[in-house]
Amino acid sequence: MLFEYLLRRLSLLLFMVFTLTVFTFSLNYMFPGELLSNITGQINPTYEQSQELIQQYQLDKGIFIQYLAFVERIVQGDWGLSLSSGQPVFEQIVKLFPATLELCVYALAMAVLFGIPGGIIASVYHKRWPEKVINSLSLLGFSVPIFWLALLLIMVFCLGLGLFPMSGRIGLLYEVDPISNFILLDIILQSFPYEGLAFVDALHHLALPTVVLAMYPTTVLIRFTRDSMLDVLEQNYIKTARAKGLNRRQLIMHHALRNALLPVIKQIGLQFSTLITLAMITEVIFSWPGVGRWLIDSIYQRDYPAIQGGLLAVSMFVILANMLAEFSHTLFDPLSRNQAHGKV
Amino acid sequence: MAKFSLFSEESNRSPLSRLWRKFKSNHPALVGLWVFVALTLLAFTAPFIAPYGINQQHGDALLLPPSWHELGDVRFILGTDDLGRDVLSRLMNGATFTFGLSIVAALVTTLIGVVLGTFAGISKGFRSSLLNHLLDITLSIPSLLLAIIIIAVLGPGLLNTVWAIIFALLPQHIHSVRNLVVEELNKDYISAFRLDGASKWQILTRGVLPNIYEHIVVIFTMALSTAILDIAALGFLKLGAQPPTTEWGAILAENLSLIYLAPWTVGLPGVLLFIAVLSTNLVGDGLRQVLKGRKVD
Repeated sequence: MLFEYLLRRLSLLLFMVFTLTVFTFSLNYMFPGELLSNITGQINPTYEQSQELIQQYQLDKGIFIQYLAFVERIVQGDWGLSLSSGQPVFEQIVKLFPATLELCVYALAMAVLFGIPGGIIASVYHKRWPEKVINSLSLLGFSVPIFWLALLLIMVFCLGLGLFPMSGRIGLLYEVDPISNFILLDIILQSFPYEGLAFVDALHHLALPTVVLAMYPTTVLIRFTRDSMLDVLEQNYIKTARAKGLNRRQLIMHHALRNALLPVIKQIGLQFSTLITLAMITEVIFSWPGVGRWLIDSIYQRDYPAIQGGLLAVSMFVILANMLAEFSHTLFDPLSRNQAHGKV
Repeated sequence: MAKFSLFSEESNRSPLSRLWRKFKSNHPALVGLWVFVALTLLAFTAPFIAPYGINQQHGDALLLPPSWHELGDVRFILGTDDLGRDVLSRLMNGATFTFGLSIVAALVTTLIGVVLGTFAGISKGFRSSLLNHLLDITLSIPSLLLAIIIIAVLGPGLLNTVWAIIFALLPQHIHSVRNLVVEELNKDYISAFRLDGASKWQILTRGVLPNIYEHIVVIFTMALSTAILDIAALGFLKLGAQPPTTEWGAILAENLSLIYLAPWTVGLPGVLLFIAVLSTNLVGDGLRQVLKGRKVD
């Protein structure tokens, strides 16, 4: 049963990866500029070089062979060279992606920490003032343009009060060797004097970007949790439980919450796509050295291999995150295993 | 919810007027609707009612603060920027670009979404499965990234941004319309209709679409609020509208270097964006509440 489900998901995953690579490959032809430099990232190669590259990437063959060569190259980790810096794209992504991931994970953690309890409180006090307050706040948070929010926070906390630094991941005083590229982990891993101070400094740098990035997913989770709770609270088994004489607390803790939080688990995983979009803007404003800012920079510089690499890495990550969320959802909720069959 | 209604007055009004009556009783949503209408009017009439031209420079009035400030000048109600251009006129004209173009983008998205979504909804078997998986993949590409790729292909510019946003928004709206159609097709009255011998076209036009069009309006408001935010975000990243254009996000980006000297030039476009998105969301939320209430009674 579970095995069959896994098999079906796996084939879906393969299909998605296949289509994604086809899309990325076709971008080589759609982007302006020469095909050869779009694929390899070599600008103005000599005649011999270009002949060699054409041989290597099999560009003289049919389109199908070209695609196979492209996939082989991607699997081997040769993602071409960046047009602007000449660095291998893959290495750059490996270096930059953890910074974005770090930001997203903390923001998501914050969103879960505030969003789910917020939604639960709103549904428990349905049609009373706590719900109204939470609803209005979440609507405000839902509507605020993220770059404007970031600028307002910078105006108040950095320029006005001077509480938080404006840009970067850590102060220039501290030199942290990249081991895992997750800054907090790196600081813990390598013990150097003033470790505690460096940690606090990194936290200071993280504070504003995390708050800005967490704003939107928090409001989404609040609304989703509240709706899901309200749905469950109207079910008949809740009425039965109430008729049995359970008090509100027991009702919500033991009966409503377990069922209401199931779809929320799935929703948390689905946030990654939006989070990456928002992270791109946040990183530009706070000069966060992540993959989002790198992508925006590469479009300013018409760095096509970098855009392709970024697309591939980010989308793969989002697909995997969604799969993982769906999988954990089915682990907790056996009912949903059969639903997906045939009707999607 | 109420099991007994003491005053059994029969209401025979049309669904639309009942919807309006319920919507009216939700005051925040009503205010949102008025602001929405005002912004739409402004988007159409801005070039005629703005006090100054958008690129008209006043050499004697550089970086004037808003008129309520003691250094302000009543000629320029919201102050001027570093080139002596009237902020109020620029912001009013910005409504045409940010709000007006967002409405166009959202309309096109909804239209294509409805056509493709119904098609996806009525198709079955392999075709439906393939379509859905293709949609899932486009959904897994973050929307801004997709827009950026489309801009990389087409080149930056305001009109290309609109195309990019339409393409980036489409998958999720096709998805929602498809879900609506499938949900409606599974209901008993459609089966009865089908047993009566209705053709596919009749089922769609007489059965499904009249029952989901309010939901489509909700989807439209969602598309609109996302479109406003995306157009502004791309303008802010300098990938959309280019500086002399008075798109709100582009104005914000242009004045970013003045944030310390003249905070109003950065703050005010953001306030307008916020109001535009908020009013759209208020209308959408109000509609959604009414529709939810209708299901209950």
